[in-house]
Amino acid sequence: MAESRMAFLIDTSRCIGCRSCQVACKQWNKLDADKTVNQGTYENPRDLTSNLYNRIRFIEKTDGGNLKWLFLNERCVHCGDAGCMKVCPSPGALYRTREGFVAFNAEKCISCKYCVSACPFGVPRYGADEKVSKCHLCFDRIGAGMSPACAKACPTQTLQYGPRSGLVAKAKAAKKTLYGEADLAGLGVLYLLDDKPEVYGLPANPSIPTSIFLWKDVLKPLGLIGFWGSIVGVLTHYVTFGPRKLEEENSEKGGGAHG
Amino acid sequence: MGKYVERFNARERILHWFVMLSFFMLVFSGLGLYSRIFHGYFDLFGGGEAAIFIHKYMGVVFFVSSILLFLNHYKEMNSFDEDDRRWFRLLGGYLDRDPEHINSGKFNAGQKAYGLFMGIATILLGVTGFINWFPASFPIGIVRLSLLLHGTLFLIFIMFVIVHAYLTTIGNPGTLESMIYGNVRRIWAKTHHPKWYKEISGQ
Repeated sequence: MAESRMAFLIDTSRCIGCRSCQVACKQWNKLDADKTVNQGTYENPRDLTSNLYNRIRFIEKTDGGNLKWLFLNERCVHCGDAGCMKVCPSPGALYRTREGFVAFNAEKCISCKYCVSACPFGVPRYGADEKVSKCHLCFDRIGAGMSPACAKACPTQTLQYGPRSGLVAKAKAAKKTLYGEADLAGLGVLYLLDDKPEVYGLPANPSIPTSIFLWKDVLKPLGLIGFWGSIVGVLTHYVTFGPRKLEEENSEKGGGAHG
Repeated sequence: MGKYVERFNARERILHWFVMLSFFMLVFSGLGLYSRIFHGYFDLFGGGEAAIFIHKYMGVVFFVSSILLFLNHYKEMNSFDEDDRRWFRLLGGYLDRDPEHINSGKFNAGQKAYGLFMGIATILLGVTGFINWFPASFPIGIVRLSLLLHGTLFLIFIMFVIVHAYLTTIGNPGTLESMIYGNVRRIWAKTHHPKWYKEISGQ
């Protein structure tokens, strides 16, 4: 994955909040519209859904009486070390593409929803079909030599798609906050931010949730030791201390054994 | 005087078989969820979705029967005396080829502890299982903890079960009959549970 890893660089300062990316994604992936309600904000929809793989998060920031908007393209960030893949019990339901992204195969999803709990970014969604859905970074378009639908539609080149190493070098030259370079073995979606990650609603130090780590990396090996250890333990007891044989019934001694 | 005394009545035996069979169904349907390396066990049920379905409803069967069994034996486990302390001190005599006499009642101290653990673990596995069943209805932090706890309890549970299966079969010949026919030989009762034998036989 290292050399040929592809990535997205999202330069948030270029975003004008037009939401072409949202529309293009829905169009390419044939995702139905969700009914939304006016909640007094331009941000719409207010959250990712099983029919919405990416959206623009509108952050309203007051700066000395002036209102300022920050725009963030919210989506699966395609972690190099992905919690969802770590926890998924069904091989192939979530898989890594040749370009290094995390795609999904709904037919192999068994609806356990563990990926929802394991994602540090709260991305995976389940719809009425009870199958996982999220941004798969247009693996079908990329496979056919096209750029992802959202990047193709973006009029300001906020969404840039290309080899990861090149994008990282470019981002560093911009001397802005680069988010996701090394976290979780490097994110497949890198952000250039104008402010602290928390302001954008991104975790400052994203990591796989501790309980998921304990389950998959501690409990699992301990479990194998515990299970086989118990079996070996009782068999060893059988051939060393031995079974507790009953005394002859006519000897009438009764005690002398344990209770 | 017959050769046998009754140890478990039909209700207790049937409850225990419910607990045992549903437990093994839960283990085999849940292994693939515990870790991807056990993915092959899903095939026993015709795939992961079917295994999850079985796991959920077997969980209900297990929960109900295990709780009933626990309540059934509660009054026999709900005591701890000097003989029980002695049992723990001597580890039940299991690490001694010629063990000292321990005057245990119907259940020895190890069995009481095991029964108590089973009761608590059943409740916790039931609660965490319910949360894992409906993850969208609970805060994500609770679901994360619940998944970890469910797996941890399963692991402790299965280790206890291995020891339990050993001690009640080849480890203590004559014990298994109590779960099949309900009766044990008098010599068995006198040897393993002298205080209980005295209570029921008056000798």
